[in-house]
Amino acid sequence: MRVLVVEDERKIAESLRKGLSAEQYDVSVAYTGEEGFYLVNAQTFDLVILDIMLPGRDGIEILSTLRKRDAQTPVLILTAKDAVEDRVTGLDSGADDYLTKPFAFAELLARIRALTRRGRQEQAQALRVADLEMDLVGRRVTRDSQPIDLTAKEFGVLECLVRHGGSVVSRDMLAREVWNETTWVAPLYNVIDVHIARLRRKVDEPFPAKLIHTVRGVGFVVREDDK
Amino acid sequence: MRHWSIRARLTVYYAFALALIILAFCAGIYWLIRADLLQQMNAQLSQDLSTVSRAARKEPEEAMEVAEEGLVTLFVLQSQGRVIATAPGWRHEGLQSARPIAPGIVQTPQHRVYYTKQGAAHTRDSRIEITVARDGEPLRHTLRSLGLALLAGLACALGLALAGGYVLAGRVLAPVGAMASTARAITADRLSDRLPVHNPDDELGRLAATFNSTLARLEDSFDRLRRFTSDASHELRTPLAAMKSVGEVALRDEADFAAHREAIGSMLEEVDRLARLVDSLLTLTRADAGTATLSSVPTDLSGLISEVADCLRALADEKQIALSVTEDADVWARVDPVVLKQAVINLLDNAVKYTPQGGQVRVSLAHADGRATIEVTDTGPGIPREDRERVFDRFYRGGKSRSSDSGGVGLGLAIAEWAVQANGGNIELADREGRGCAFRITLPSEKGGGVSSS
Repeated sequence: MRVLVVEDERKIAESLRKGLSAEQYDVSVAYTGEEGFYLVNAQTFDLVILDIMLPGRDGIEILSTLRKRDAQTPVLILTAKDAVEDRVTGLDSGADDYLTKPFAFAELLARIRALTRRGRQEQAQALRVADLEMDLVGRRVTRDSQPIDLTAKEFGVLECLVRHGGSVVSRDMLAREVWNETTWVAPLYNVIDVHIARLRRKVDEPFPAKLIHTVRGVGFVVREDDK
Repeated sequence: MRHWSIRARLTVYYAFALALIILAFCAGIYWLIRADLLQQMNAQLSQDLSTVSRAARKEPEEAMEVAEEGLVTLFVLQSQGRVIATAPGWRHEGLQSARPIAPGIVQTPQHRVYYTKQGAAHTRDSRIEITVARDGEPLRHTLRSLGLALLAGLACALGLALAGGYVLAGRVLAPVGAMASTARAITADRLSDRLPVHNPDDELGRLAATFNSTLARLEDSFDRLRRFTSDASHELRTPLAAMKSVGEVALRDEADFAAHREAIGSMLEEVDRLARLVDSLLTLTRADAGTATLSSVPTDLSGLISEVADCLRALADEKQIALSVTEDADVWARVDPVVLKQAVINLLDNAVKYTPQGGQVRVSLAHADGRATIEVTDTGPGIPREDRERVFDRFYRGGKSRSSDSGGVGLGLAIAEWAVQANGGNIELADREGRGCAFRITLPSEKGGGVSSS
């Protein structure tokens, strides 16, 4: 899958290249607006990650040029401006999603996955990881066929973690997906940690194999083996 | 004139007023003296007339003797339009061919001006018309000299007035100039300087006092800004220092992969802390700049509080804190729910954070007299009386007991204060006499959905 990253900050651009390449994406990087403009016009990509504030050509300009030619390619904009107006401008110009700097790489990956599988997302009825089974319709959880009693929020957190199967989920993502909190609220971090601790007590402690892992400084992941 | 200095304008106004007064005064003097001189002339002419007439009443020739004696030198006698006698002086001065230039005034071909007066003398058989004249030059000369003298005086007075006015205005305005140069010397670094107030009751004293109070306010806000900046830098430096040392130590160690992971994770935690801090600072900066755009929608406060309480209940449960919510149902207010929620979250989060295990946190919502009151009380250590004033200050963390290991950076209450005030409400710390904290938010509100969308 070909991904174009237009980002003038070299460190960020390089880390994106490395990180995305490690995830098996074919990454091209443009460091200036001009370069991005040229690449967007000359080649076809499956996804464009676009910084809004660029020297030379502004990200919005590249976006509208791209949209004139091709309405399909999903575009994710990166912005340091988190003011509402900037997000609106970006989305109005045809961006499919935005991410505010600083962002968690885990979240970027999740967004990319969501954007590239748009349209062909089947509504799962049940999720499973190892011996953990989640019945999304009946809101029931079992592990090793033993029912586990979870509160609604605990269920939401576990579902979010399992859904992202194997990839790290940041606290910001949990806040957004489980608590529907778009404006970022610090106290929620502690609330999330409490819920994770409770989930561990219920889902992991009674069993020999641990499924919920903390990736320090990044977030949480549900995985079968402790790599 | 608008571009002139105040000094020049004052001087000109002053001189102009003075010139008007002096001019009126001079004109008065001139007219008085002139009238007096003319009256004298008239009296002399009358006297001449009666002298000539007395002589002519006997014989016209006798009148000539008057001329010869030099009593009256300029006269002419006529009878029925015919000249019967002329004084030698009359002819000599060329008065016979003089033409009148004004009533009672004639001018000779030699451009000399004479004042004349006519009368009549009755002899036994005829009526003799007498015209006497007197030289007008001495009178006119006197008046001319007087006029010139007065004009010269006027010019001198005007000059003096201008000079004096300029000096006076300068003296009056000198303190203003001094004030200006003092004020010019006051920069951001010297905001503690004040203008000297010589007389607090006069206009300049009041001006200086006003200026000084403005300076005091400026100094205060500069101080706060300085403190804020230094606090902010300190708070920013702490996670930076942690990141630097963790990173450096991890590099020195010939440690294994897991240890490096641990170090990187630790650094990422600090990055999160930094990001949170920067986010809070941005919120406050936007609040200060007034660029935060708030919505105003009818909001169910009861619902908002329940939502926040439910959200944070997990934290309270962890510490076995009893979190209770008592509320009047259906209290509505026109606010920005996202911003107001942040205030309530911050208050409740603080309450849970600082209340010891097994304590109590209570949230209540009441409605009275068109105002909703949200109260968050806890059974924590409370806030020392001497710190009450500073509770809402940025980076206030209340001494050592509320140190940074509680996780906050001390901006929560500052943000809460802004959030409540921006929604037209008020936030205060109620006195609980050492029985924990009680924060009270009051907002203009309605009961029973009265502020429904309109």
